[in-house]
Amino acid sequence: MSRVVPLAKARDERLFGSKAVGLGQAIRDGLPVPPGVALSGSIVEAVAAGEESAIREVVQWAKPLGGPLAVRSSAVDEDGASASFAGQHLTLLNVPSAEALNSALSEVWWSANSDSAITYRQRVGLFTRPSVGVVVQVLLEPESAGVMFTRNPVTGTDERVIEASWGLGEAVVAGLVIPDHYRLDRTGLVLERKPGLKKIAVRRAPIGGTVEEKLPRELVERLCLTHDQLQDLNRLAGRCDEVYGPARDIEWAIAGGTLYLLQCRAITKSGI
Amino acid sequence: MATRGAPIESLQRVPLFADLGTRDLQRIARLFKPRRFASGETVIKEGSGGSAFFVIEAGEATVFLNGRKRATLKPGDYFGEIALIDTGTRTATVTAASDLVCWGLTYWDFRPVVQANGRIGWKLLQGMATLLRAAREG
Repeated sequence: MSRVVPLAKARDERLFGSKAVGLGQAIRDGLPVPPGVALSGSIVEAVAAGEESAIREVVQWAKPLGGPLAVRSSAVDEDGASASFAGQHLTLLNVPSAEALNSALSEVWWSANSDSAITYRQRVGLFTRPSVGVVVQVLLEPESAGVMFTRNPVTGTDERVIEASWGLGEAVVAGLVIPDHYRLDRTGLVLERKPGLKKIAVRRAPIGGTVEEKLPRELVERLCLTHDQLQDLNRLAGRCDEVYGPARDIEWAIAGGTLYLLQCRAITKSGI
Repeated sequence: MATRGAPIESLQRVPLFADLGTRDLQRIARLFKPRRFASGETVIKEGSGGSAFFVIEAGEATVFLNGRKRATLKPGDYFGEIALIDTGTRTATVTAASDLVCWGLTYWDFRPVVQANGRIGWKLLQGMATLLRAAREG
Protein backbone atom coordinates (compact mmCIF):
# COMPACT_ATOMS: atom_id res chain seq x y z
CA MET A 1 0.00 0.00 0.00
CA SER A 2 1.43 3.34 -1.04
CA ARG A 3 2.33 5.67 1.79
CA VAL A 4 2.60 8.69 -0.53
CA VAL A 5 0.20 9.53 -3.37
CA PRO A 6 -0.50 12.54 -5.60
CA LEU A 7 -3.24 14.59 -3.94
CA ALA A 8 -5.70 13.61 -6.67
CA LYS A 9 -5.36 9.98 -5.57
CA ALA A 10 -5.88 10.58 -1.84
CA ARG A 11 -9.11 8.70 -1.13
CA ASP A 12 -8.72 6.95 2.21
CA GLU A 13 -9.19 9.21 5.25
CA ARG A 14 -7.84 6.52 7.59
CA LEU A 15 -4.50 6.74 5.75
CA PHE A 16 -4.20 10.34 4.62
CA GLY A 17 -6.59 12.32 6.84
CA SER A 18 -9.62 14.39 5.96
CA LYS A 19 -7.77 17.43 4.63
CA ALA A 20 -5.84 15.42 2.04
CA VAL A 21 -8.89 13.42 0.99
CA GLY A 22 -11.00 16.58 0.82
CA LEU A 23 -8.45 18.24 -1.47
CA GLY A 24 -8.15 15.04 -3.51
CA GLN A 25 -11.93 15.08 -3.97
CA ALA A 26 -11.74 18.73 -5.00
CA ILE A 27 -9.16 17.95 -7.69
CA ARG A 28 -11.20 14.99 -8.96
CA ASP A 29 -14.20 17.33 -9.20
CA GLY A 30 -12.25 19.90 -11.16
CA LEU A 31 -11.78 22.50 -8.42
CA PRO A 32 -8.63 24.63 -8.59
CA VAL A 33 -6.20 23.19 -6.04
CA PRO A 34 -2.41 23.82 -6.04
CA PRO A 35 -0.46 20.66 -6.96
CA GLY A 36 0.71 18.46 -4.13
CA VAL A 37 1.14 15.06 -2.56
CA ALA A 38 -0.53 13.34 0.40
CA LEU A 39 1.58 11.57 2.99
CA SER A 40 0.06 8.85 5.16
CA GLY A 41 0.25 8.97 8.95
CA SER A 42 2.61 5.99 8.97
CA ILE A 43 5.22 7.59 6.71
CA VAL A 44 5.08 10.89 8.62
CA GLU A 45 5.67 9.00 11.88
CA ALA A 46 8.54 7.07 10.25
CA VAL A 47 10.13 10.34 9.12
CA ALA A 48 9.68 11.79 12.62
CA ALA A 49 11.45 8.69 13.97
CA GLY A 50 14.35 9.32 11.58
CA GLU A 51 13.76 6.32 9.30
CA GLU A 52 16.04 7.00 6.35
CA SER A 53 14.08 4.98 3.78
CA ALA A 54 10.93 6.96 4.63
CA ILE A 55 12.78 10.26 4.30
CA ARG A 56 14.12 9.19 0.88
CA GLU A 57 10.64 8.15 -0.27
CA VAL A 58 9.11 11.49 0.73
CA VAL A 59 11.88 13.50 -0.95
CA GLN A 60 11.50 11.47 -4.15
CA TRP A 61 7.76 12.21 -4.30
CA ALA A 62 8.00 15.87 -3.36
CA LYS A 63 10.95 16.81 -5.55
CA PRO A 64 8.91 17.25 -8.78
CA LEU A 65 6.81 19.87 -6.98
CA GLY A 66 9.85 22.14 -6.83
CA GLY A 67 9.65 24.72 -4.11
CA PRO A 68 8.87 26.49 -1.96
CA LEU A 69 6.35 24.20 -0.30
CA ALA A 70 3.46 24.41 2.12
CA VAL A 71 3.32 21.59 4.68
CA ARG A 72 -0.07 21.16 6.35
CA SER A 73 -1.18 18.56 8.86
CA SER A 74 -3.98 16.26 7.77
CA ALA A 75 -4.49 14.25 10.92
CA VAL A 76 -7.06 11.53 10.59
CA ASP A 77 -9.55 12.99 13.05
CA GLU A 78 -8.95 16.71 12.55
CA ASP A 79 -11.42 18.97 10.76
CA GLY A 80 -14.38 16.88 11.83
CA ALA A 81 -17.73 18.51 12.45
CA SER A 82 -17.20 18.32 16.21
CA ALA A 83 -13.54 19.34 16.56
CA SER A 84 -11.32 21.41 14.30
CA PHE A 85 -7.93 21.20 16.08
CA ALA A 86 -7.52 24.78 14.86
CA GLY A 87 -4.19 26.10 16.08
CA GLN A 88 -3.14 22.71 17.46
CA HIS A 89 -1.70 21.04 14.39
CA LEU A 90 1.06 22.91 12.66
CA THR A 91 1.15 24.32 9.15
CA LEU A 92 4.61 25.23 7.88
CA LEU A 93 4.79 27.64 4.98
CA ASN A 94 7.73 28.27 2.69
CA VAL A 95 9.67 25.09 3.31
CA PRO A 96 12.40 25.77 0.73
CA SER A 97 12.64 22.36 -0.95
CA ALA A 98 11.85 18.65 -0.73
CA GLU A 99 15.17 18.08 1.04
CA ALA A 100 14.01 20.29 3.91
CA LEU A 101 10.86 18.24 4.48
CA ASN A 102 12.51 15.95 7.03
CA SER A 103 12.55 18.48 9.86
CA ALA A 104 9.28 20.08 8.74
CA LEU A 105 7.45 16.76 8.96
CA SER A 106 8.97 16.06 12.34
CA GLU A 107 7.68 19.42 13.59
CA VAL A 108 4.20 18.75 12.24
CA TRP A 109 4.17 15.27 13.80
CA TRP A 110 5.21 16.65 17.19
CA SER A 111 2.61 19.42 16.97
CA ALA A 112 -0.10 16.74 16.90
CA ASN A 113 1.64 14.98 19.80
CA SER A 114 2.30 18.10 21.85
CA ASP A 115 1.01 18.74 25.35
CA SER A 116 -1.49 21.30 24.05
CA ALA A 117 -2.81 18.93 21.36
CA ILE A 118 -3.21 16.17 23.95
CA THR A 119 -5.01 18.57 26.30
CA TYR A 120 -7.36 19.50 23.45
CA ARG A 121 -7.95 15.81 22.66
CA GLN A 122 -8.87 15.13 26.26
CA ARG A 123 -11.21 18.13 26.31
CA VAL A 124 -13.14 17.15 23.17
CA GLY A 125 -13.27 13.45 24.01
CA LEU A 126 -10.84 12.32 21.29
CA PHE A 127 -8.19 10.84 23.55
CA THR A 128 -6.83 8.50 20.91
CA ARG A 129 -3.48 8.10 19.22
CA PRO A 130 -3.23 10.72 16.46
CA SER A 131 -2.43 9.53 12.95
CA VAL A 132 -0.75 12.54 11.39
CA GLY A 133 -1.17 12.58 7.64
CA VAL A 134 0.33 15.57 5.86
CA VAL A 135 -0.39 17.51 2.68
CA VAL A 136 2.66 18.91 0.87
CA GLN A 137 1.76 21.48 -1.78
CA VAL A 138 3.38 24.13 -3.89
CA LEU A 139 3.24 27.37 -1.91
CA LEU A 140 1.48 30.14 -3.78
CA GLU A 141 2.47 33.78 -3.67
CA PRO A 142 -1.02 35.28 -3.51
CA GLU A 143 -2.09 38.84 -4.14
CA SER A 144 -4.91 38.26 -1.66
CA ALA A 145 -6.28 35.39 0.37
CA GLY A 146 -8.61 34.55 3.21
CA VAL A 147 -11.54 32.47 4.33
CA MET A 148 -15.10 32.02 3.12
CA PHE A 149 -18.11 30.44 4.79
CA THR A 150 -20.72 29.12 2.39
CA ARG A 151 -23.34 29.83 5.04
CA ASN A 152 -23.18 32.56 7.68
CA PRO A 153 -21.43 30.86 10.62
CA VAL A 154 -22.91 33.23 13.21
CA THR A 155 -26.53 33.68 12.17
CA GLY A 156 -26.98 30.56 10.03
CA THR A 157 -28.36 32.76 7.21
CA ASP A 158 -28.05 31.28 3.74
CA GLU A 159 -25.38 33.70 2.47
CA ARG A 160 -21.65 33.70 1.75
CA VAL A 161 -19.37 35.37 4.28
CA ILE A 162 -15.89 36.25 3.03
CA GLU A 163 -12.93 37.64 4.96
CA ALA A 164 -9.93 38.73 2.93
CA SER A 165 -6.57 40.41 3.21
CA TRP A 166 -3.42 41.03 1.17
CA GLY A 167 -0.77 38.32 0.77
CA LEU A 168 -0.93 34.88 2.36
CA GLY A 169 -4.14 33.90 4.13
CA GLU A 170 -2.34 33.35 7.44
CA ALA A 171 -2.86 37.07 8.16
CA VAL A 172 -6.59 36.33 8.32
CA VAL A 173 -6.44 32.86 9.87
CA ALA A 174 -4.07 33.96 12.64
CA GLY A 175 -5.99 37.18 13.31
CA LEU A 176 -3.05 39.44 12.43
CA VAL A 177 -5.27 41.94 10.60
CA ILE A 178 -8.84 43.13 10.63
CA PRO A 179 -9.79 41.66 7.26
CA ASP A 180 -12.16 43.04 4.66
CA HIS A 181 -15.62 41.60 5.29
CA TYR A 182 -18.07 40.75 2.53
CA ARG A 183 -21.49 39.15 2.43
CA LEU A 184 -23.06 37.83 -0.78
CA ASP A 185 -26.30 36.06 -1.46
CA ARG A 186 -26.31 32.88 -3.49
CA THR A 187 -26.89 34.75 -6.76
CA GLY A 188 -23.69 36.75 -6.17
CA LEU A 189 -25.45 39.94 -5.13
CA VAL A 190 -23.10 41.78 -2.79
CA LEU A 191 -24.98 42.51 0.45
CA GLU A 192 -22.10 44.06 2.37
CA ARG A 193 -18.56 45.32 1.61
CA LYS A 194 -16.70 46.49 4.68
CA PRO A 195 -13.01 47.44 4.43
CA GLY A 196 -10.79 46.12 7.18
CA LEU A 197 -7.63 47.50 8.72
CA LYS A 198 -4.84 45.55 7.06
CA LYS A 199 -1.60 47.00 8.34
CA ILE A 200 0.52 44.00 7.41
CA ALA A 201 0.67 41.22 4.84
CA VAL A 202 2.20 37.81 5.48
CA ARG A 203 4.69 37.01 2.71
CA ARG A 204 7.30 34.37 1.97
CA ALA A 205 10.62 35.09 3.69
CA PRO A 206 13.77 34.75 1.56
CA ILE A 207 15.29 32.19 3.96
CA GLY A 208 12.15 30.09 4.46
CA GLY A 209 9.15 30.65 6.69
CA THR A 210 7.17 33.85 6.49
CA VAL A 211 7.49 37.50 7.39
CA GLU A 212 4.98 40.15 8.32
CA GLU A 213 5.46 42.96 5.81
CA LYS A 214 4.21 46.42 6.69
CA LEU A 215 1.78 47.60 4.02
CA PRO A 216 1.79 51.02 2.38
CA ARG A 217 -0.82 53.36 3.81
CA GLU A 218 -3.02 53.29 0.71
CA LEU A 219 -3.55 49.52 0.97
CA VAL A 220 -4.51 49.42 4.65
CA GLU A 221 -8.18 50.24 4.14
CA ARG A 222 -8.47 49.54 0.42
CA LEU A 223 -10.75 46.60 -0.41
CA CYS A 224 -8.58 43.75 -1.64
CA LEU A 225 -11.22 41.96 -3.76
CA THR A 226 -12.80 43.20 -6.98
CA HIS A 227 -16.41 42.56 -7.97
CA ASP A 228 -15.28 39.88 -10.43
CA GLN A 229 -13.20 38.15 -7.79
CA LEU A 230 -16.20 38.12 -5.44
CA GLN A 231 -18.21 36.44 -8.20
CA ASP A 232 -15.43 33.85 -8.65
CA LEU A 233 -15.55 33.18 -4.92
CA ASN A 234 -19.33 32.81 -4.97
CA ARG A 235 -19.02 30.28 -7.81
CA LEU A 236 -16.35 28.41 -5.84
CA ALA A 237 -18.70 28.37 -2.81
CA GLY A 238 -21.45 26.92 -5.00
CA ARG A 239 -19.14 24.21 -6.35
CA CYS A 240 -17.96 23.36 -2.82
CA ASP A 241 -21.60 23.08 -1.72
CA GLU A 242 -22.19 20.65 -4.61
CA VAL A 243 -19.08 18.58 -3.96
CA TYR A 244 -18.98 18.52 -0.15
CA GLY A 245 -22.47 19.52 0.98
CA PRO A 246 -23.69 22.72 2.65
CA ALA A 247 -22.10 24.88 5.36
CA ARG A 248 -18.41 24.79 4.44
CA ASP A 249 -15.45 26.70 5.83
CA ILE A 250 -13.09 27.42 2.93
CA GLU A 251 -9.58 28.78 2.77
CA TRP A 252 -8.73 30.31 -0.59
CA ALA A 253 -6.06 32.40 -2.32
CA ILE A 254 -5.80 34.43 -5.51
CA ALA A 255 -2.38 34.14 -7.15
CA GLY A 256 -1.50 35.41 -10.61
CA GLY A 257 -5.15 36.34 -11.01
CA THR A 258 -6.32 32.74 -10.48
CA LEU A 259 -8.51 31.64 -7.57
CA TYR A 260 -7.31 28.55 -5.69
CA LEU A 261 -8.99 26.39 -3.08
CA LEU A 262 -6.59 25.65 -0.21
CA GLN A 263 -8.88 23.91 2.24
CA CYS A 264 -12.55 23.05 2.65
CA ARG A 265 -14.03 21.68 5.85
CA ALA A 266 -17.29 21.62 7.74
CA ILE A 267 -18.12 24.73 9.75
CA THR A 268 -17.49 23.74 13.38
CA LYS A 269 -19.02 26.65 15.27
CA SER A 270 -22.19 28.07 13.89
CA GLY A 271 -25.67 29.03 14.73
CA ILE A 272 -27.07 26.65 12.13
CA MET B 1 16.35 -3.24 8.21
CA ALA B 2 15.39 0.39 8.32
CA THR B 3 17.04 2.35 11.09
CA ARG B 4 14.74 4.46 13.20
CA GLY B 5 14.38 5.68 16.73
CA ALA B 6 16.98 6.25 19.41
CA PRO B 7 20.35 4.49 19.45
CA ILE B 8 20.22 1.81 22.15
CA GLU B 9 23.44 3.22 23.64
CA SER B 10 21.46 6.36 24.49
CA LEU B 11 18.88 4.34 26.40
CA GLN B 12 21.38 2.03 28.09
CA ARG B 13 22.71 4.94 30.13
CA VAL B 14 19.21 5.82 31.36
CA PRO B 15 18.64 4.16 34.77
CA LEU B 16 15.02 3.42 33.85
CA PHE B 17 16.10 1.14 31.01
CA ALA B 18 19.46 -0.05 32.34
CA ASP B 19 18.24 -3.53 33.37
CA LEU B 20 16.70 -4.40 30.02
CA GLY B 21 18.21 -6.88 27.59
CA THR B 22 19.36 -5.82 24.14
CA ARG B 23 16.30 -7.18 22.35
CA ASP B 24 13.86 -5.29 24.61
CA LEU B 25 15.96 -2.16 24.32
CA GLN B 26 15.98 -2.37 20.53
CA ARG B 27 12.20 -2.73 20.47
CA ILE B 28 11.70 0.26 22.76
CA ALA B 29 14.37 2.40 21.06
CA ARG B 30 12.46 2.23 17.76
CA LEU B 31 9.52 4.00 19.39
CA PHE B 32 11.49 7.09 20.42
CA LYS B 33 11.57 10.18 18.24
CA PRO B 34 14.10 12.99 18.35
CA ARG B 35 13.00 16.43 19.41
CA ARG B 36 15.09 19.57 19.59
CA PHE B 37 14.45 22.62 21.72
CA ALA B 38 16.21 25.97 21.53
CA SER B 39 17.82 27.39 24.64
CA GLY B 40 15.12 29.04 26.76
CA GLU B 41 12.27 27.15 25.14
CA THR B 42 9.61 25.60 27.37
CA VAL B 43 9.62 21.83 26.96
CA ILE B 44 6.71 21.02 29.27
CA LYS B 45 4.54 23.38 31.29
CA GLU B 46 3.11 22.82 34.75
CA GLY B 47 -0.67 22.40 34.57
CA SER B 48 -0.79 21.33 30.91
CA GLY B 49 -1.82 17.87 29.79
CA GLY B 50 1.07 15.49 29.15
CA SER B 51 1.85 14.05 25.73
CA ALA B 52 5.33 12.57 25.98
CA PHE B 53 8.11 11.35 28.19
CA PHE B 54 11.62 12.62 27.37
CA VAL B 55 15.17 11.35 27.77
CA ILE B 56 17.89 13.98 27.40
CA GLU B 57 20.46 13.14 24.72
CA ALA B 58 22.42 16.40 24.78
CA GLY B 59 22.20 19.72 26.58
CA GLU B 60 20.68 20.67 29.91
CA ALA B 61 17.19 21.46 31.16
CA THR B 62 15.90 23.24 34.25
CA VAL B 63 12.97 22.04 36.35
CA PHE B 64 10.70 24.66 37.94
CA LEU B 65 8.00 23.96 40.51
CA ASN B 66 5.58 26.78 41.24
CA GLY B 67 8.01 29.11 39.50
CA ARG B 68 10.98 28.10 41.67
CA LYS B 69 14.02 26.37 40.23
CA ARG B 70 14.23 22.85 41.65
CA ALA B 71 16.72 20.87 39.59
CA THR B 72 18.98 20.74 36.55
CA LEU B 73 18.68 17.78 34.21
CA LYS B 74 21.59 16.47 32.12
CA PRO B 75 22.13 13.87 29.39
CA GLY B 76 20.73 10.50 30.51
CA ASP B 77 18.13 12.12 32.80
CA TYR B 78 14.46 11.71 31.99
CA PHE B 79 11.30 13.66 32.75
CA GLY B 80 7.61 13.91 31.91
CA GLU B 81 6.53 10.44 33.05
CA ILE B 82 4.14 11.46 35.85
CA ALA B 83 1.42 13.03 33.68
CA LEU B 84 1.57 10.00 31.40
CA ILE B 85 1.01 7.57 34.26
CA ASP B 86 -2.17 9.19 35.60
CA THR B 87 -3.15 11.13 32.41
CA GLY B 88 -3.22 14.17 34.68
CA THR B 89 -1.49 17.49 34.24
CA ARG B 90 2.22 18.24 34.22
CA THR B 91 3.52 18.63 37.77
CA ALA B 92 6.47 20.84 36.85
CA THR B 93 7.75 23.15 34.14
CA VAL B 94 10.90 22.15 32.28
CA THR B 95 12.78 24.61 30.10
CA ALA B 96 15.83 24.13 27.92
CA ALA B 97 18.83 25.62 29.74
CA SER B 98 20.87 25.22 26.55
CA ASP B 99 20.08 23.92 23.09
CA LEU B 100 18.49 20.62 24.02
CA VAL B 101 18.20 17.33 22.15
CA CYS B 102 15.75 14.83 23.60
CA TRP B 103 14.32 11.47 22.67
CA GLY B 104 10.55 11.55 23.14
CA LEU B 105 8.19 8.66 23.74
CA THR B 106 4.52 9.61 23.44
CA TYR B 107 1.80 8.49 25.84
CA TRP B 108 0.52 6.05 23.21
CA ASP B 109 3.86 4.22 23.16
CA PHE B 110 4.93 4.83 26.77
CA ARG B 111 1.95 3.09 28.33
CA PRO B 112 2.26 -0.26 26.48
CA VAL B 113 6.05 -0.22 27.03
CA VAL B 114 5.59 0.14 30.80
CA GLN B 115 2.74 -2.37 30.90
CA ALA B 116 4.86 -4.94 29.07
CA ASN B 117 8.04 -4.43 31.10
CA GLY B 118 7.82 -5.06 34.82
CA ARG B 119 11.38 -3.84 35.32
CA ILE B 120 10.54 -0.41 33.93
CA GLY B 121 7.32 -0.35 35.97
CA TRP B 122 9.24 -1.20 39.15
CA LYS B 123 11.79 1.55 38.55
CA LEU B 124 8.99 4.03 37.94
CA LEU B 125 7.42 2.95 41.23
CA GLN B 126 10.74 3.49 43.00
CA GLY B 127 10.94 6.94 41.46
CA MET B 128 7.39 7.72 42.60
CA ALA B 129 8.22 6.55 46.15
CA THR B 130 11.25 8.83 46.21
CA LEU B 131 9.12 11.76 45.08
CA LEU B 132 6.48 10.97 47.69
CA ARG B 133 9.05 10.88 50.47
CA ALA B 134 10.61 14.12 49.26
CA ALA B 135 7.18 15.77 49.18
CA ARG B 136 6.35 14.56 52.73
CA GLU B 137 9.64 15.84 54.03
CA GLY B 138 8.96 19.20 52.41
